[in-house]
Amino acid sequence: MNGSGEDMLPETDTLTGAEPATRPVVRSRVERPAPDPAAPVMFEVDDLNVFYEDFHAVKGFTGGIKEHEITAFIGPSGCGKSTMLRCFNRMNDLIQGARVTGRLLYHGTDLYAPEVDPVEVRRRVGMVFQKPNPFPKSIFDNVAFGPKINGYKGSMPDLVEGSLRRAALWDEVKDKLDESAYALSGGQQQRLCIARAIATNPDVVLMDEPCSALDPIATLRIEHLMQELKQDYTIIIVTHNMQQAARVSDRTAFFNVSLNEKGQRTGHLVEFNDTAKLFTNPDERATEDYITGRFG
Amino acid sequence: MITNRGNPDDLRAEFDAVLDELRLGMVEIGSLIVENLRRAGEAMRHGRLDLIAEVRDGDMEIDRRYLALERRTFETLARQQPVARDLRFLIAATRILYEQERSGDLVVNCVNALEREEGFPEIPGLQAIFSRAIDTAAGLFAMSVEALAEPYKEAGTRLDQADDELDDLIGRVYTEIGADAAAIGLETAITMSRVARYLERIGDHAVNIAENVTYVLTSEFPDTNRVVFSDEP
Amino acid sequence: MRTITTGDAVAARIAGRKLHWRELAFEGALLLALLVSLLFLVTLLADILITAMPVLTERAADFVSGELSPDPARAGVGTSILGSLIITIAVAVLAFPAGIGTAIYLEEYASDSWLTRFIRTNIRNLAGVPSIVFGILGFAIFVRLVSAVGLGGSVNGRNILAAGLTLAALVLPIVIITASEALLAVPDSIREAGFGVGATRWEVIRHHVLPSASPGILTGTVLTLSRAFGETAPLLLVGAVTGFFTLGEGSTVMDRLTSAYTALPVTVFSWSRQPSEEFRALAAAAIVTLLVVLLTANAAAIILRNRYERKW
Repeated sequence: MNGSGEDMLPETDTLTGAEPATRPVVRSRVERPAPDPAAPVMFEVDDLNVFYEDFHAVKGFTGGIKEHEITAFIGPSGCGKSTMLRCFNRMNDLIQGARVTGRLLYHGTDLYAPEVDPVEVRRRVGMVFQKPNPFPKSIFDNVAFGPKINGYKGSMPDLVEGSLRRAALWDEVKDKLDESAYALSGGQQQRLCIARAIATNPDVVLMDEPCSALDPIATLRIEHLMQELKQDYTIIIVTHNMQQAARVSDRTAFFNVSLNEKGQRTGHLVEFNDTAKLFTNPDERATEDYITGRFG
Repeated sequence: MITNRGNPDDLRAEFDAVLDELRLGMVEIGSLIVENLRRAGEAMRHGRLDLIAEVRDGDMEIDRRYLALERRTFETLARQQPVARDLRFLIAATRILYEQERSGDLVVNCVNALEREEGFPEIPGLQAIFSRAIDTAAGLFAMSVEALAEPYKEAGTRLDQADDELDDLIGRVYTEIGADAAAIGLETAITMSRVARYLERIGDHAVNIAENVTYVLTSEFPDTNRVVFSDEP
Repeated sequence: MRTITTGDAVAARIAGRKLHWRELAFEGALLLALLVSLLFLVTLLADILITAMPVLTERAADFVSGELSPDPARAGVGTSILGSLIITIAVAVLAFPAGIGTAIYLEEYASDSWLTRFIRTNIRNLAGVPSIVFGILGFAIFVRLVSAVGLGGSVNGRNILAAGLTLAALVLPIVIITASEALLAVPDSIREAGFGVGATRWEVIRHHVLPSASPGILTGTVLTLSRAFGETAPLLLVGAVTGFFTLGEGSTVMDRLTSAYTALPVTVFSWSRQPSEEFRALAAAAIVTLLVVLLTANAAAIILRNRYERKW
């Protein structure tokens, strides 16, 4: 801009963190801290592909999911973002004919190595689904089920209360823990499902379009909750609502869909970037076309 | 500036139409300013004090349009949740409109000064250089309007270079005023210096407008500390 | 057809009740069908009750507890009821674990291959096989099997054990099918949620799928047992005694299980073939007894199911 003045945004060399020595730099107090490039990595993914029998559903995802961050997967329908999400807790195993190539490292261990127990993986990598799906049991039993079958020996009421508190649901249900989970509203049921997922003390929570069945206020509640949860957990969220990804996530992966030779829809990763960058100045033209709604 | 016009599958055709309207609205405002500046220049050159009222009316029209466009821009921001280049365009539009509005005010300031002096002194050397300065300023502002009408990436750097020429001229105007100060009197000299300053500021606003065009297209402001030569027209 | 939109014209069109003739005619036809069905049932029941009236009003209690006898004035259905009950228990014990287990395996564990599709089709076919075919199967295999293992008793294997095996084979496909339906009705989202918190497949089935499917399985159970209770043809081929018989004094439980037996429907069959009028009344009374037992059993099952099933 014309005229001299103090820079509003610091210009740093992000590789080394060094700053040019000459210009005075004033950090604005309203700046949101950018994702820390040095944060430890929870998942390291290298060319992950998903196949159903011979059908190549999703191609080549590569990247790192950092601890205590919210990573969003966005993209049009059929791009494979949910399929990709389910690789992270081996839920794809339950689908007949599903197989995976490439490497998915969790704390340095290949998640798909033959000696890995998928049941134990799912205890550590929890999941919240698109439509709230509490068990047909009481609120208490819903939360207690996971820890119980995983051999929890401590005080269950305390554990249930802790989980419900962390899911911002305790105050609303503390007097009716024995009532049916189905008596709760949609937004409450989804928070119950979150409480259930974190009851097994995972370090990752996967969320597959958790707000698509909820009204806007319930949605905002859950987005607010995610910001608190990320202090204790790492979150990966699939969403078809771009504004939601822009609001809540630290890093975003954009998957796009294309037609293969047989006319089937397959997905591939287009860009995986810091959310702020992806939504203000993405690297790929395809990304910008998608987020501005111009596909042609 | 960067829409998908003409593409039959454009899902955001209505939005694109709004963006285009905003852009063309700014082009119109810019044109009005250039016209008003030339009018003011005519008044200053030939002492045509009758044009002063027209200049003021002209600026009222400019202000009216500025308010309407600014409101439109805010509404579009609120309703469309724009991202990336759409967002850059709308933010830049608010800035450009501001620069234009200030430029319009500066033109009025010029004729206000003229009115107080009841015409500028007719010293040939001074008049000639003053005239050239007015034309150059108007030409520079017209370039900013062209950059809005047909945006191109190098707009910022091009206008920055062209502004150097105007700054030069203004410098020589000051010198000339200094040389003729005794003849024209101190007050007049001061007033004319201020008018020269207004013209220089108009040039700076034009450069800012062009730099915003570059920003929308490239997401960066041109680094004006470096000299970059471009062969593009 | 343009829609009329001016105020008055619209009011005239939409106000005023029109009689939709076709609607009424259709509803009338359905009601008629219902009445016809009811008429059949009511007529049947009335006829039976009237025929059975003399026996029931005279000596209902004796009739129900009495033993078979060639003398119509003393004949009772006690032995037959006992025989039917034992057979039903045998069917439950033999068919349900196997049937429900098969259903769980097919629905929860088996992958979808040509083999499982083949198996499912065959099970469905078996469910439709006429029951007398199972009677032939029972005679050819189970009767011989029972005497081969030394449990043939005095009747060379034509005893309650063979009958139980035969009817168990008969109802097995039905048990599998109804249990499968009940399991399929449990939404997949419940299973997914279970897997999501790190449960094994068996834990998901045991804690979530089975409890959800239980009401359906229970209902299927009751219906199947009712069917088994009323089966006649296979029992005739497997040796149910149609005439008069009695076990001697001091017969043990083992004797009862391995000797001659009869069942309530078989008794109805044999009595209704007797020429004399009194046996006709006895047959009707036996039918009434059969119906009462079935109705009670069904009612008990429904009550049990409602108490056991918690509506979430």
